Amino acid sequence: MKTVIKTTNLSKVYKDSVVPVHALKNVNLEFSQGEFTAIVGPSGSGKTTFLNIIGGLDKPTDGHVIIDGVDIATMKESQLFDFRLRHIGFVFQAYNLIPVLTALENVSFIMLLQKQSKQEMEKRARAMLEQVGLGDKINERPGRLSGGQQQRVAVARALASKPDFVLADEPTANLDTESAFNLLDIMARLNKEENITLIFSTHDQRVIERARRVITLVDGAVDKDEYFERA
Amino acid sequence: MLIKISWRNIWRNRTRSLVIIVALVIGLMGGVFSAAMRFGAEAQQFEDTIEYQISHIQIHNPEFIANPEARFRVEGGFEMADEISKRPEVLVATPRTAFDGMISSASKSTGVRIRGIDQETEALATKTDQLVFEGSFLDDSGRLPGMVIGQDLAQMLNVRLGSRIVLTFQDIYGEVISASFRIEGLFTMNSRSFEESTVFVLASDLNEMIGDPLAVTEIAVVLNDHNKYREAASNLQQTYPSVEVRHWAEISPHLYFVMEILQQGLIWLMGIVILGVSFGVLNTILMSVLERVRELGVLMAVGMKRSWVFGMIVLETTMLSIIGGSIGLTASYLLVSFLNKRGVDMATAGGDGLREYGYASVIHPQLEPIFYLHISIVIIVFAILASLYPAWKAIRLVPAEAVRQE
Repeated sequence: MKTVIKTTNLSKVYKDSVVPVHALKNVNLEFSQGEFTAIVGPSGSGKTTFLNIIGGLDKPTDGHVIIDGVDIATMKESQLFDFRLRHIGFVFQAYNLIPVLTALENVSFIMLLQKQSKQEMEKRARAMLEQVGLGDKINERPGRLSGGQQQRVAVARALASKPDFVLADEPTANLDTESAFNLLDIMARLNKEENITLIFSTHDQRVIERARRVITLVDGAVDKDEYFERA
Repeated sequence: MLIKISWRNIWRNRTRSLVIIVALVIGLMGGVFSAAMRFGAEAQQFEDTIEYQISHIQIHNPEFIANPEARFRVEGGFEMADEISKRPEVLVATPRTAFDGMISSASKSTGVRIRGIDQETEALATKTDQLVFEGSFLDDSGRLPGMVIGQDLAQMLNVRLGSRIVLTFQDIYGEVISASFRIEGLFTMNSRSFEESTVFVLASDLNEMIGDPLAVTEIAVVLNDHNKYREAASNLQQTYPSVEVRHWAEISPHLYFVMEILQQGLIWLMGIVILGVSFGVLNTILMSVLERVRELGVLMAVGMKRSWVFGMIVLETTMLSIIGGSIGLTASYLLVSFLNKRGVDMATAGGDGLREYGYASVIHPQLEPIFYLHISIVIIVFAILASLYPAWKAIRLVPAEAVRQE
């Protein structure tokens, strides 16, 4: 299976405080195309730092992050903006949709930044909203959608631009059980149908039970890396 | 899409945006109104001064400037005025016999400028005949030569229409002579000083008295295009080197100064008003940026370049200012147009004293159309300047931190 992300000796030290904080220590991991991975660990274990670095939102103090054959740790900030736009999909904990845009416009937005044609953009955005079960809500603004619906729009947005992988930072944290299961069903289906690589950071047992790979971080280092067979 | 997002962002907090738009509209209306009042008053004074008092260009014997007496005449003045009138750039040139003298009634005396006019050409050059509100303008042939004086001067001398009055002046030899006139007309105008210090008689009457029937001490020239006064004066000076040719800006440097700096001064005044309001705009946009930290973080996290985010904030500010600016300028234009037709009567506010300074007591506010264009440019420039700080704050956000902000 094709390797999508490879990290080598990835370390991150925050020197802002009096005592340097080692958020990540020599993390060596590979993620293959189509994996559904949960990164778990207690608060402060380095989950978010790890996601930020492989998502090009933060830079490692040491080590390499190879994505699509390119070491993004050495990229300039302006190159990272473009890289994120073309290769990575993001789903955030607090939905984070643009409140002044409709569901359809929110999903189209990244494709617009990618300068896709209007017809192509709209077709894909409609299809993605259909896929997440919001075909009848395309013209609604986020304020008129429930938390679960908003997060499904966020998933549609992350996937619409056909990224190499999707990073989801605790996407179910603010959802009730029904909405969380609904979202996880959709993500699991898209993972299978579109062979999308999904990497979650989570505390949520419901997510962990769906993941086929669970990586446990403790004090910035990989403690366990387990694979599971799921239906 | 960027325009769509910016537009919708403005209306996200309707009340806040409306408050700043109303502030911009009121600020602009206040500023434009005061500018239009000032400009209207100055334009009126300029028009009065040029049309009734000094014309575009005046020609004198060089000695006359320091000693306005009948001795210092323009040689061949009538022919010269006739020649000048035929120039294409000239509407009319009128010869005058004008000099300083003394006017006396039974009770009082005062110094005046005696303006002896050629009725036919004077009527084309100035509108003085239209200022006469009682009697006639030197067209009545009586036993005594006629004279038209200002209402204020008549009150000061305690005379009225038909009264006999004496002028004392020097003839062409420097000898002092006195002559009697009858008040044939009374005029009034916006400038009290002109009204009190100028009397009109016929040049032919005056010339007979001073001993030179062809005397001309002043030629007033009115141009077809008032903007070409410098060029026209220079050409006349070259053609007639023996006389002193002066344009209105040289004759009345104060008026020139006022007119030249006025427009710029008013732009500065508006600039200060808009600058004040711009701080309100800046505050509004800054608040909106600080309320959207997480959202801006997401935009940058998903790949929206900082330059786009910067552009979006600038666009929001500019749009907000353009909305307020357009409404404000349209309302100001309508207000100024309405008041221009109606006039603002300052007399009720004690504005009659304005006549002391040559201003009309009823002001017709007005502004050149170019002024509105300048203000529009100032609004856009200040809007962009006001957006820089909020936009800079927005692009300084670190996406990884901003997306987690509560």
